[in-house]
Amino acid sequence: MKTQVSTFLPELYSRRNVLRQLVSQQLILRYRRTALGYLWTLINPLLMMSVMAWVFSTLFKADLKTFAVFLFAGMIPWNFFSSVVSQSGTAFVHNEGLIKKVYLPKAIFPLSIAFAFLIDSLLSFVALFAIILAIGGTLSWAVLFIPAAFLLLFFFALGVGLIMSIATVFFRDLQYVILIALQGLFFFTPILYQRDTLGGNIGRLVGLNPVVPYIELFRAPLTQGTLPGTSVIVQAVAISFTAMAIGLFIFLRQEKKIVFRL
Amino acid sequence: MSSIRVENLSIKFRVYHDRSPSFKDSLANLFKRNAREAYSDFWAVKDVSFEINAGDRVGIIGHNGAGKSTLLKTLCRVYELFDGKISVDGRIAPLLEIGAGFHPEFTGRENIYLNGSILGYSKQQLKEIEPEVIAFAELEEFIDTQVKYYSTGMYMRLAFSLATAMHPDILVLDEIFAGGDAAFMAKATARMHDMIDKANIMIMVSHDHLLVKSLCNRVIWLDHGKLVADGAPDEIVERYLAGRKNG
Repeated sequence: MKTQVSTFLPELYSRRNVLRQLVSQQLILRYRRTALGYLWTLINPLLMMSVMAWVFSTLFKADLKTFAVFLFAGMIPWNFFSSVVSQSGTAFVHNEGLIKKVYLPKAIFPLSIAFAFLIDSLLSFVALFAIILAIGGTLSWAVLFIPAAFLLLFFFALGVGLIMSIATVFFRDLQYVILIALQGLFFFTPILYQRDTLGGNIGRLVGLNPVVPYIELFRAPLTQGTLPGTSVIVQAVAISFTAMAIGLFIFLRQEKKIVFRL
Repeated sequence: MSSIRVENLSIKFRVYHDRSPSFKDSLANLFKRNAREAYSDFWAVKDVSFEINAGDRVGIIGHNGAGKSTLLKTLCRVYELFDGKISVDGRIAPLLEIGAGFHPEFTGRENIYLNGSILGYSKQQLKEIEPEVIAFAELEEFIDTQVKYYSTGMYMRLAFSLATAMHPDILVLDEIFAGGDAAFMAKATARMHDMIDKANIMIMVSHDHLLVKSLCNRVIWLDHGKLVADGAPDEIVERYLAGRKNG
């Protein structure tokens, strides 16, 4: 009961129409019947980030503007990663009715989640961009690296998401465990602080966190106006590749079993 | 010309006794030899073989739990076969559960596109059939209303119109369904028969033996996942009703 790699992609491509529908379903449904509609998707994280920027810049006695850009640049990749990973856990469980009645390539469900959040995240990024310009920040050509950063981050999150989507079907408790784990991981990721301000054991622990290079991919172009270091890029490529490889391996081996376990 | 070939098909379900095993249990069982299994296997379909060729109208009969629906769902690839082989030649339409994939928060029109894409229609095809689907369902007034405000009849009418808008090579039916009032029922039944006429192959599961006799030219009798008999409708239905397994 394994899926052949050779049929996996062509089949997925032939059903791209469903994928498109599921993505727009997620984007449309979230704020249907609210006055501001889709704008909430932008307002929500931006307001949240603004409050955090204000509180923490006061706490750390940092300049609000600089800190805001610093924080936003870290929050956008983090929010994307944590949303994809936590929501992927419900990809199959929430679509049980559909999966048991109609055949669809199963990868459509986690993929639609990743795509929907990618769109959200890209739009938040555009909003962030506008804010940086508005508060008088300077942007350099290094910003052109951001699409590549998104691409690497997308594959990392998707790889982990594929694993989560399958694992949750077999162990339902994971839905809740992952939320706590992500909350913990947030503090071990240099979002509120600079990576090099942490030394000792905690510093070494943070060094093992696979999300760290991705934060750096976004932060270097946005806060310093420089391209991320080669070693960071190499790390990110390696992690994304590994996550996708493990994710696909597990997914292709297990996807045909999930209909019996839902 | 379409055809379906099923060879030694077996489908196994795993029945869990109390609950799904937790991560802890799975880890614990890794280190325990002869751990008491928390599940038992159940063969929904066991070693079934048959061949269906163009022009066949096949009715599948059997008591509840005989594996009829499981067999149909496996032909439509919802369930993975455990053992054996299925080869299907032709576009197979899953008309199993009408309205699967409808989203209550979406309007009727949005659901045509969502559910239509799930049924395998392309965007272009959906654009073409949209007016016809709405007209047949008699929902012109309410098509831009969210489906959650629909009555059961309206919901069924939309789902039925959409599901039967295209003519597949291989039509798979799990009980003939049609909701709505008498007028719609008549219209729907006519459309259903038209669809069956145009299909290259039709396979249906039904407990209505008169319907099976009138629509099918071949009947397969399943019992506890095994194929008991396969032949002319009158003969097989009569044997089934009399409970004569050995002819």
